[in-house]
Formats: sequence, C-alpha cells, structure tokens
Amino acid sequence: MRMRKLLGEPMLHFVLIGIALFAAYQWRAPVDSDGRRIVITQGVLNDLVKQHVAAKGREPSPSELNHLVELYVRDEILYREGVKLGIDRDDLVVKRRVRQKIELIAEEEASTQAPTDADLSAYLAANQGRFVQPAILTFEQVFLGQSTSNPGVVRAVAVTHQALRNGRDPATLGTPTLLPSRMTHAAADLIARDFGDAFAAALETMPIGEWTGPIDSSFGAHYVRVSDRTPAVVPPLAPVREQVAREWENERRQRARTDSYARMRADYEVSIEATMPKEQR
Amino acid sequence: MPITRLIVIGAVLLCAACGRPQSPQGTPAAEPSAAVQLGGAPSGAGSASADAGEIRPVDPATFNKVPGYSPYAGRNYPERPYFGDEHVHTSWSVDAGGTGTSLGPEEATRFARGEEVTATSGQPVKLGQPLDWIAITDHSDMMGMITEIKGGNPEMMADPTFKRWRDMFNGGPVEAKKAVMELVAAQSNKKLPAIATDPRFARSVWAKNTTIAEKYNEPGRFTAFIGYEWTSNAGGGDNLHRNIIYRDNKDKADGVLPYTTFQSENPEDLYKWMTEWEKTTGGKLLAIAHNGNLSNGRMFAMTTFSGDPMTKAWAEARQRWEPLFEAVQMKGQSESHPSLSPTDDFAAWELWDRGNLTQTPKTPGMIQHEYVREALKNGLKVEQDLGANPFKFGMAGGTDTHNGLVAAEEDNFFAKFPSSEPRADRWEEDAMNFGPNRIVKGWEMTAAGYTAVWATGNTRAELWDAMMRRETYATSGPRMTVRFFGGYDFTQADATRSPAVAGYAKGVPMGGDLPAAPAGKAPTFLVAALKDRFSGNLDRIQIIKGWLGKDGKPQEKLYDVVWGDKDRRRIVNGKLTPVGTTVDVATATWTNTIGDPELVAVWRDPDFDPSVRAVYYARVLEIPTPRWTAYDAAYFKIKITDPKVPMTTQERAFTSPIWYSPK
Repeated sequence: MRMRKLLGEPMLHFVLIGIALFAAYQWRAPVDSDGRRIVITQGVLNDLVKQHVAAKGREPSPSELNHLVELYVRDEILYREGVKLGIDRDDLVVKRRVRQKIELIAEEEASTQAPTDADLSAYLAANQGRFVQPAILTFEQVFLGQSTSNPGVVRAVAVTHQALRNGRDPATLGTPTLLPSRMTHAAADLIARDFGDAFAAALETMPIGEWTGPIDSSFGAHYVRVSDRTPAVVPPLAPVREQVAREWENERRQRARTDSYARMRADYEVSIEATMPKEQR
Repeated sequence: MPITRLIVIGAVLLCAACGRPQSPQGTPAAEPSAAVQLGGAPSGAGSASADAGEIRPVDPATFNKVPGYSPYAGRNYPERPYFGDEHVHTSWSVDAGGTGTSLGPEEATRFARGEEVTATSGQPVKLGQPLDWIAITDHSDMMGMITEIKGGNPEMMADPTFKRWRDMFNGGPVEAKKAVMELVAAQSNKKLPAIATDPRFARSVWAKNTTIAEKYNEPGRFTAFIGYEWTSNAGGGDNLHRNIIYRDNKDKADGVLPYTTFQSENPEDLYKWMTEWEKTTGGKLLAIAHNGNLSNGRMFAMTTFSGDPMTKAWAEARQRWEPLFEAVQMKGQSESHPSLSPTDDFAAWELWDRGNLTQTPKTPGMIQHEYVREALKNGLKVEQDLGANPFKFGMAGGTDTHNGLVAAEEDNFFAKFPSSEPRADRWEEDAMNFGPNRIVKGWEMTAAGYTAVWATGNTRAELWDAMMRRETYATSGPRMTVRFFGGYDFTQADATRSPAVAGYAKGVPMGGDLPAAPAGKAPTFLVAALKDRFSGNLDRIQIIKGWLGKDGKPQEKLYDVVWGDKDRRRIVNGKLTPVGTTVDVATATWTNTIGDPELVAVWRDPDFDPSVRAVYYARVLEIPTPRWTAYDAAYFKIKITDPKVPMTTQERAFTSPIWYSPK
C-alpha cells in the first residue's frame, strides 16, 4: 500500500524523469567548463541524419554528413563566441525569447502539483457564484405568436387560457413554432439560450403544474406549464470537483506568470535617471 | 546550468506526461438509437433507399398521435440544433502564433463556452451567445511549433530559417506578419527546415491539446471535440485543407499523431491514414474540407488529386470520409458564385474569388470546380457515370479564426488575426499581402460562420453521428433554427404545427436520401425557419434544386418557397419583390419591422422528372442588417466611403441537401 502510494507520488516521477533527462542531456551534448570543446556525440550525429532524412527522404551521403557536422560546429562556435562578447544582452529578440521561456516555465511549474480538496473547497467558497448549479426544469409551452405589448394578443390570451383550463391538448393551440414545445430536465441557463433570460427566470418562480401566462420570451408571449423543478443550488465540492479543479488550475496557470514576475521584480531596484516624458491622457 | 535545465524539462514533462489521473469525461455509453433511422445510411451512394420500391401509404395520424398517456413518448428525434465551430486556430498554429496570437487552445475553448477573455490586442471580449460545441483545429503541420520557435528551442534555432523567423516573430507586428507569409510559402514550396517534421515536438503538444479538450468537454452542456487541421496547399497555395474531427476521447486520440502534409498533400493518402487510424484504435474520424473558393479549381475537380480519372472506389472513399463541407467562413463563402448561377440574386455575397490562398490569380475554368452548388450537381453526373457520388456532402460553417476567438457576430467581430482585431483602420489595411495585385483588403473579411447540428444530445458521439449522417446546416453567424424534410406526402397541414413530428414521420431530414418516387408522385418538402432571437427577421426561404438533364448536363433552379411580409410582396417576372431594408448605416442599427420571425411551408417540386437524378437544399435569408464594417464605422466614428465596401449584409443559412436517385 505504502509502496503503491510512493510510486504514485508525482515528486518521485519528477525526480526520475529529471535523472533520466540529465543523463540524456549529458550524453547528447556534453560541454566542458570553459566552453571550448565541442563533441559530436552519436546523439548529435543521429539528429543530423534524421533531419536530413526528413528533408530529403534519404540518408545523407558521407560528404553531406561531413558538411552537416561542419555546419553544426560553426553554429556552436559562433554562438558561443557571441555570447562571450555579450552580444545577446543588448539584443531585444534574444531577450524576448529568454523572457518567453521563463514565463512558460513559470506556467508549467505551477501545474505540477494537483490541488487538494482543501484548496478546492476554499476556491469554491470564494467563487460560489460561478459554480451555482442552475435550476433544472421540465416544462411545456404554447406560443401565442406576438408579444404581450401587442394589443392584438389580448384575445389570443383569453382564448388560449380558457382552452387550456378546459383541458384542450396544448399541441392544438397557439401559433406553430420551431421553438421546442417541451423541454425535459433542462438547465435554466440553457433554456435561456433558446427563449431568453426573462423567460427562463419566470420559470424559476411560477407555480408547478398550472398553465401560467402570458410570459414573454424573445419571440413573443407564451403560456407555460412547469411540471418539475429542482431549484438552483450552491453545490458542495463533490459533484462539481472537476469544474472547480479546472477553474482553479486555469487561474493558477494565468497567475503563475504574473506572480513569478512580481517575485523577481521585488528583488530588483529600478532607478530612473533619465528625464521621463509626461504620460499622455 | 544542467540543473536548472533539468528542473525545467522535468517540470514540463511531468505535466505533459503524467497529467492527472482524471477519468476521461466522455460521451455516455448509450448510443443514440434513434439516430440510425433518421438520416438514412451515412454513406453508400444512395443505395439505402433502392429497395423501397413500394411505399406504404402513410397515414399521418398513426405518427402524429402516439398512443398512450404521454404525448412525448416515442419522440427520440433531434429536438434542437447545437451550434458550434469546427474550425478554430489558436497560438498553437504556426501562422497564428506567428502573427502574435497569445490565446492558446484553453483560452479559445473558454471563450467559445461564453467566458470573457482578453484578446491578443488587450481588449476584453465575450461572445454574445455561447456556443454549444467547438473543435480546436490547429494545423497538424508544426502544431505547437510556434511556441517552440518563440521559446527559442535550441535544436530548432540551429536551423537558420527558424532562427530568422523567430527573430521576425519577436521583431514587432510588421515583421511577424512577414514571417508568417514566408512560412506559408515555405510550407507550400516544401522548403521548411527539416526539424519541422520531428515527431518529438509534435507528440507532447498533441497530448497537451487533447488534455485541454478533455477538461472542457462536459456531456450535455458543452462538447469539446478533439481535432486538427490537415493543411494541404497543393502546388503552392491551392487550398485543399481538411479539418479532422474525432468522435472519441483522449485515450484513443493520443495513440497516433495527427497526419501532416509532410507525409502527403494528397487527400487520398489522408483517407488511407483515416482508414488505418480507425483500424488501429477502433475509433471514428471524419473530415471537413473548406475554402473551395481558394483552391484554384482543385477542391471539386473532376479528376483525382494527381489528375487521373475518378474511379468508383475514389468516389466512395471521398463520400465516406468527407460527409460535410465548410461552405462559409472568414475567408468568404463557397456556396455559389454569380458566374455559375446567373439567376441567383444572392450569390454575389462575401466573394473571395480572385486567387488561391496565396492569391495566385485564377484562370478561366477554375471557378466551376470551387463551389458547393456546382459540386453537388456534378456529383450527380459522376454518380450516373461511375455508380458513386464523391460530392455527396452536407453543409458546415466555421470561422477559421487564427486569434483563438470564434467571434463571428457582426457587432462583435474580432476577425482572423490579432492585427485585424477591432481597430479604426482595419477595414482599409491589407488583410493578406502576397505582392502586387495579390492583396486581400481588411474589409473583405467575412464575419462567419457556424455549424448547426441536429443531434439527439450535446455529446461528442451524438454530434459526430449527426455530422456523419449530414443532419447539419451552415449559418453565416446567426443562430437561426432551420428544419428541412423531404418526402412524398407532405401537405399544407404539416406546415401548421411543430414540423418535426410530421417531418420525421413522413420523410427524411436534411442530409438524407429520398426513397424512389411512387407512381405519379413528386417530392414534397417541409421547410421551416425561426430567426435568431438577437438578429434580423427572415426575408425568405429558397429551395435550390440541381438535376441532371436528359443530355447529361447538370442544371439548377431556385425557388422562393415562402417569405415574410406575405401581404405586400409579389412574384413579378418570376422574381420575388425584395424585402426592403431598415438599416441605418450611420448608426449601424435596424428594426425588425419587415420580414417575419418565423417561416414554414410545404413545397412540391413542380418540375419533377422521376427518371433523372436531383439534389435539393434550402437557403434561408435574413432581412438586411448592418455588416461588421458598419458597426466599425459607427463605433470608431470613421467614414467608409469606398463604394466597394459593403455596409449591410443578408445573413443566411444553407442546409445539407436531400438527394433523389431514380430506381
């Protein structure tokens, strides 16, 4: 049990992968301490061959391979000499590149530890509004074709209401429409996508089992009968754990960049010795 | 140095490789059992109906009234369309990241779900209405490579071209754009650095990509498909791109890397790869091609990719793997062209018809092999000659956005690249510049489109199955609801109530095949549309018929079958009088005082000849509303006086066709 737990430990994976990579790195591109030795390992050579195959569809000839190695050596030497001269330091492009790498690293580092239940519960408590489970509704509707603000609808309202009370089949009433005549166990926010926010909100408070109306949707007036309703709730963690974890991780990922910069920034002292232009606006 | 490097690489790998022991959120195990009987066989050259020589006379009462207490029992057909985008690029696509897109697949998915995000240009943006589903389709070629280029992956930077591009990407927006253009050209001309093909970079990025799709896929609420774009630019920019959409989850998708054009630019090889993939994994794939209008005559050519004559096997493969075609997107529409359809008053809309993807100019004879309507008609001819129809596809719409934002709404148009996100000058700048006379202006960008899918539920499997049976339609952006059924027994009575009941009972939905015609009967169509609740009223519904004349030549005819403001509009000289306009361009406003919110009709083909092949689809037009250029002018208080720039538009939907084949 304990062993299994240990094997499942991300830190162990991390260390093992690290060791493997370290070994691979040393094997692939050994560098001596003063950077004046370039070794063409089998790994470097294999890469050069692979690149050639991918480009030309065949293995390089011996003379081509020699040429590739010469190119590689030239790149290495000139790059190292450039760095020694500090050319990289006043190069905006190099700076940006390094900066992007650091930001990416910060993001990736942040995503190595999984959130605990305590993390997620705290997050849920702090962001309840975002995790409210919408009301779940089952309802039928009869469409009257025009909005309640239209005077012509009054008669349709009266006629429809009477007919519904008399038990007429709702499918025979109202104006034909492509709107669903019934939705079963539908979330209030998804109902709002079809009918509009006000309509969905009205369904959350109307009496159950009674034809109620007229109620306006984005299209016009309706009679509605809600037969089943589970009110909106702020859930405990368990049923929404995946969503909470997703949001938590996303927020952390985005914050990782800003935070890591803020930390580094705190270690620096910036002194402005130039005359700064006044800010516009 | 090795130690910090080690930690970094370890951290990166750890996150990519281990992930969380998260149970794959997948599609429910239950198959939509009703699906099978709805649209007919998903493929099979129309033979599904061949044995239906004798049609049982249909009594609508037996279908419309379900016995038993619950009037809803037995109704298991799709009750609502699910709107989504099957074509989305993020910073992980090389040409998107290269132009500075900072939004990755995760931000793009969140945006489609209705979250507010910050666009690359720093502007907050949110969709007017969330989408129901999305497929992030970053280019499989160099997927995620831009991150590596920008991050300065040392192995890549060993290549001088990558190094130069990296420098350009980081050298400001003008330079970055130039780098992308070079990249596109290099890919087309097969001059990409070799390391671009190294699977080591591809694999980790693909696994990250599928992890994100898995995280945001919530069956019943929001579907995040796994997908990618296979970006074949044959001959230097002839657009033969295909989006590959996975029915399955990460467990199946991760096993095999996406197919790239480094392996082949020939769609037939893509089909082989898909066949192989399905065999290997037990999963399912489909492909959606787009931008026939930028293919310089190749998308629907009457030969194979290599110029050989079509064969029956080739036609069957294309039909099998490509059930849908993306007929409208930000780079224009490929539904119809005025030169091919001179009687169509609405074909001259959002045309990108001067060249291919790199704006290499067209020559005469190309356009006829680029547009959907022509292809549907030509498909009938191929079917007659070879016994299989390669162009038997349904309709899809996508944005093809490259800034991660599926913002195709006219009043909320964030366009294709970060450089064309809302800005006062964007309309008059060059959207694409490949040299003199090979320029596309900013105003030519189209704020479109989405795919509506008639599925039984919002899950990967149900949406995918509906796509496979072509029960879909394309919209230029608005979420209009469109029904289209074909059969032999629809009557006016069916148009007066919820049309799906009669539609499924007495006919086949969009994407299906009509059975053989009973003696003396002509096809009837039940068609209905409901406006987007935020967009314009409806102008009209048209049915477009293509058929094979007795002389073997494809023909077409447009019928206006139902329209708004019925009391004041007439057919004059065979044409319906225009709906008019309420648009005030200066303020970018309109009123829904013309047109109708909902239209429904039953239409019988007056010119039916049971001995010839035919194909029918519906097109729904909204009343004129302000185009994004008008919203820009009003918001930025600029004057757009160039008469070439359209300031109003007629949003529209095209349904998948219904086919008729004689016995």
